[in-house]
Amino acid sequence: MNKTKDAADTLSKGGTFADQAIDADSSKLIETPKSLSFKYLGCMVLLFLPVLLLARYPQWINIVAFTYLMGAVAVAWNIIGGFGGQFSLGHGVFFSIGAYMTAALFINYGLSPWITIFPIALVAGLVSVLISWPTFRLRGPFFAIATLAFNEVMFVLANHFDSLTGGPRGLMIPFKAGFANMIFTERSYYAYLMFGFAAFSVGVSVVVRYSRLGYYLLAVREDEDCARACGINVLNVKLSGMAISAMLTSMGGTLFTMYLRYIDPPTLFTMSDIGVKFALLSLIGGIGTIAGPILGAALIIPFENYLRTELSNGLPGSNLAVLGFLMVLAALFMKKGIYGLFQEKYGKANKPALPTPMSVKPGGGAT
Amino acid sequence: MDQILNVLIIGLLLGGIYGLVSIGLNLIFGVVRIVNFAQGELVMLGMYGSYFAYTQFNISPYLSFLVVAPLVGLIGIVIQRFVIQPLRAESNMQIFATFGLLMMFQNIMLMVTKGEAYSIGGESSRWSLSVGELSLSVVRLIVFVAVTLITVGLHIFLNKTLTGKSIRAVTQDKLGARAMGINVERTYLLTFGIGATLAGFAGAMLTPIYSITPGVGGNFILAAFAVVVLGGLGSVWGAYLGGLIVGVVEALAGYYIDPVLRSAVWFMIFLVVLMVRPSGLLGMVGAEEVGFREQN
Amino acid sequence: MKKIMNDPKITSSTSHSTATGLRMGCKAVLHTALLTGLLAFSGLTSAQQTLKIGAINPYSGPMALYGTEVTRGYELAVEEINKKGGLLGKKVELIRGDASTPQQGIATVEQLANNDKVDLFLGTYISAISLTASDTAARYNKLYWETNAVAQNLIDRGLPNFIRSGPDSAAFSTTSVATIKYLVAPALKKEMKDLKVWIEHEDSIYGSSIANSQKISLEALGAKVVMMGAHSSKSIDMNDSVLRAKQANPDVLLQTGYVPDGSLLLRTIRDQGVKPPAIVFVGTGDTKETLDALGADFIEGLLVVGYPKYDISEAYGPGSKAYLKAYRAKYNAEPLAPQSMAAYSGTMILFDSIKTAGSTEVDKVRAVVEKMDVPESTYPSGYGAKFTKLQNVRSNFTTAQWQAGKMVTVFPKEAISPGAALKNLPRKQ
Repeated sequence: MNKTKDAADTLSKGGTFADQAIDADSSKLIETPKSLSFKYLGCMVLLFLPVLLLARYPQWINIVAFTYLMGAVAVAWNIIGGFGGQFSLGHGVFFSIGAYMTAALFINYGLSPWITIFPIALVAGLVSVLISWPTFRLRGPFFAIATLAFNEVMFVLANHFDSLTGGPRGLMIPFKAGFANMIFTERSYYAYLMFGFAAFSVGVSVVVRYSRLGYYLLAVREDEDCARACGINVLNVKLSGMAISAMLTSMGGTLFTMYLRYIDPPTLFTMSDIGVKFALLSLIGGIGTIAGPILGAALIIPFENYLRTELSNGLPGSNLAVLGFLMVLAALFMKKGIYGLFQEKYGKANKPALPTPMSVKPGGGAT
Repeated sequence: MDQILNVLIIGLLLGGIYGLVSIGLNLIFGVVRIVNFAQGELVMLGMYGSYFAYTQFNISPYLSFLVVAPLVGLIGIVIQRFVIQPLRAESNMQIFATFGLLMMFQNIMLMVTKGEAYSIGGESSRWSLSVGELSLSVVRLIVFVAVTLITVGLHIFLNKTLTGKSIRAVTQDKLGARAMGINVERTYLLTFGIGATLAGFAGAMLTPIYSITPGVGGNFILAAFAVVVLGGLGSVWGAYLGGLIVGVVEALAGYYIDPVLRSAVWFMIFLVVLMVRPSGLLGMVGAEEVGFREQN
Repeated sequence: MKKIMNDPKITSSTSHSTATGLRMGCKAVLHTALLTGLLAFSGLTSAQQTLKIGAINPYSGPMALYGTEVTRGYELAVEEINKKGGLLGKKVELIRGDASTPQQGIATVEQLANNDKVDLFLGTYISAISLTASDTAARYNKLYWETNAVAQNLIDRGLPNFIRSGPDSAAFSTTSVATIKYLVAPALKKEMKDLKVWIEHEDSIYGSSIANSQKISLEALGAKVVMMGAHSSKSIDMNDSVLRAKQANPDVLLQTGYVPDGSLLLRTIRDQGVKPPAIVFVGTGDTKETLDALGADFIEGLLVVGYPKYDISEAYGPGSKAYLKAYRAKYNAEPLAPQSMAAYSGTMILFDSIKTAGSTEVDKVRAVVEKMDVPESTYPSGYGAKFTKLQNVRSNFTTAQWQAGKMVTVFPKEAISPGAALKNLPRKQ
């Protein structure tokens, strides 16, 4: 059993903070909780720097805050999409649950988002299990399309049940500043908040990745049938991964609502802004890695802002045409995302070549 | 209840539109196995192409498609060769790339048109046949006839010609086809080309029916995916029937329940089919077991 | 060379010229310094002497064309006021802030407020963007003057810095219902209580809110709303709504929506042979696209409710002809849509308010605005200025009709340009 898990680990597509090379002779892993915590803290410090440096520049602080928020949710998506290999395009559903429920509870009952964020996340987790249970039978592109369908259904329902969601009018949260309300006059506090969330999200991601669940997820990603044959309860693994991912995503939705203070169906369900965005950020950063989604967010979000402001005097749509073109180029030349690019340049010499199932010798171990 | 015949006819004609848009996607999806987000944009390009031919050269879409469709097909081949093919080991990146293409195409057309909507067919699209109490729009009837002919033609092509059979072989078992000496990469190129041509043709046929905007492709793409899954991977008749079923269900739901909920209704049905019979109506059983691994 | 240089006459003259040269050089430097200083000083003072207005609109994305069109209205107003010496003794400067989504609205307002230090804001073609942008402006305590966005909730939320000079969505409803009562019913020779209306609308906040008001108003007048249908503006089939309506045999089709669904609706009723004697479109249906899609014959007689067009009578809209001329001269093109004249009119009201208030501060302008009492037909779009809860109630829409491929204003009566008249009602189809 041990060796199979090691083999599963070897087969993992991306790297992590350190090289995942397994000593051919021993099956000991290089990552220990201590080394992990060091790396995590170190990276959190790095991550905090932009917030610190840019706190006094209002035009930057918005971009920073939004980047961290999107990055954090991309990290959440990555748990099931990257580690688990289940390419979900329906995470907008969980995001919107967090958004709508937070807004409704705040507006109607005055409940502070600090209190409601976790219970709502649990609801989102439950919903995710309910809708994923039947859909996880599907693989690959079929799964993706099914999750896409969920997103569309939610859009129609959100528009229709306007007593709950404000329908097409949306919900607007009045500006009642106060820490308890999670509404700040000082814009930089949002950046701190989003940083905190990003740190939390990455932390959860690290814990999952190096836990048993994490390895099970990797195994399921690599070869579902093989994993099942090894005794892994594939469905439970997928559902657990999805639940954690959904809960984090919903928390992102809560923060999004308190940050924007205005949500409506177009804002929440436009695929290219929300649903697909998390997947895209993870892909460009390096899917399946821990840092990848954050790197992807750090690259894409400020850049698309930059393009929009630079090209706003040109023909309409020029900024997005350029962005789309660059996305295609990025896909072609950075096949493993930014993280993969780093790995290629700085990866350790004894990094194992990506083996296919055929090349794993009987008895486990690296090729 | 007296309108039921009318509703059914409307549903069938609508289904014809769905089928036409989906048939190219079905082919591409079945063979190349990617979620091609940019498919709707290929239809959109077909629409703009016919619009251009009509306003600049006064050629009707029912004639200009002979040029417009192959041009779109060419774009498809370029996409396959330079974007999809190099990424065959990274299926997630393929999705990312097709999404980039979607953004590119939509926004290039936005730059060209500056956001103005276009329409044609003021004169010709007025024709409608009256059969007793029923009214049939001629332009939609043409679409229905076209999609039927195409389906038949494709069926013959896929079953009776050697090239067609090689396409089916690749759909069923890529490794086995390669072992039989079929050039899989060339098959991909061919399939994408045909699929894109069909999308362009659909665009031409739809030009007299809808307002043309850069985002018009997005109105069809989800329905198209639903039809493809419903009909079954790799089955041409599946796409055709799937389209008709979706069209009829949507028309019935819209008329008898509520027009606003119509898209949700067939999406729910689509989800149910996915759960109960994921291979679709006429698809190959076990097709849903396709994993990303198979892309290599 | 040496010989010349050693020549005392030349040397002395050179040294003399050197001295003079030096003196002249010093003078030149001094003059230049003075000039530069003056220029700099005047530059400094002129920088302090501009009144900066942030214009919030979508300048990128699919709505960019209309965002720009609206801004042209602002630009023409700014140009005019600067020719007359500016506002409060300062030159007015317009700074564009791009916002295509509500979220961008927030970011752009913050940027303009912090970096460019604008004095106030002007906007906005899209309601959702206006909502978040004006909210952000409130936190900087800057005025947000709304010329175009129509959503009701913009005013209902009671933001103290938000003032709207243009009509709200209720006005769409009022004008369309008035058109039915005073124009359509008499033309069809029917009493309101015998009139059967089919209301169709797109399902976002824009269409839904207007349609609801229309229903209430029509029923209050005794008309029968025989069918109320909602559809997505991206719909690819409207046969179900049309079939349902066919049963009801309506006298009037009243549609509120965007361009694609409007055209599809017309095509569908033509296909299905549904022939309401009168069709009223709210908001869209007045562009070349509709003409291309349906043909001049079919749309003959179609009524469209929207911003006052450029053919309104000079009595109703003083200065409308002059505006058209100025637009053509500056931009070398025909106006894209009537929204720009509405934006221009709204901006003129803003400038008048600021002049009276003597300041751009929110409280002072608001105080002036609340007391304003300017009769209708003062501004080019036919607007007056009287504000209730910061909404200008003397701003209205007008109704135009397709006649021989052109849009002709037919309602209200005062707006009809001399020689024009209502035609083809009930529709000959």
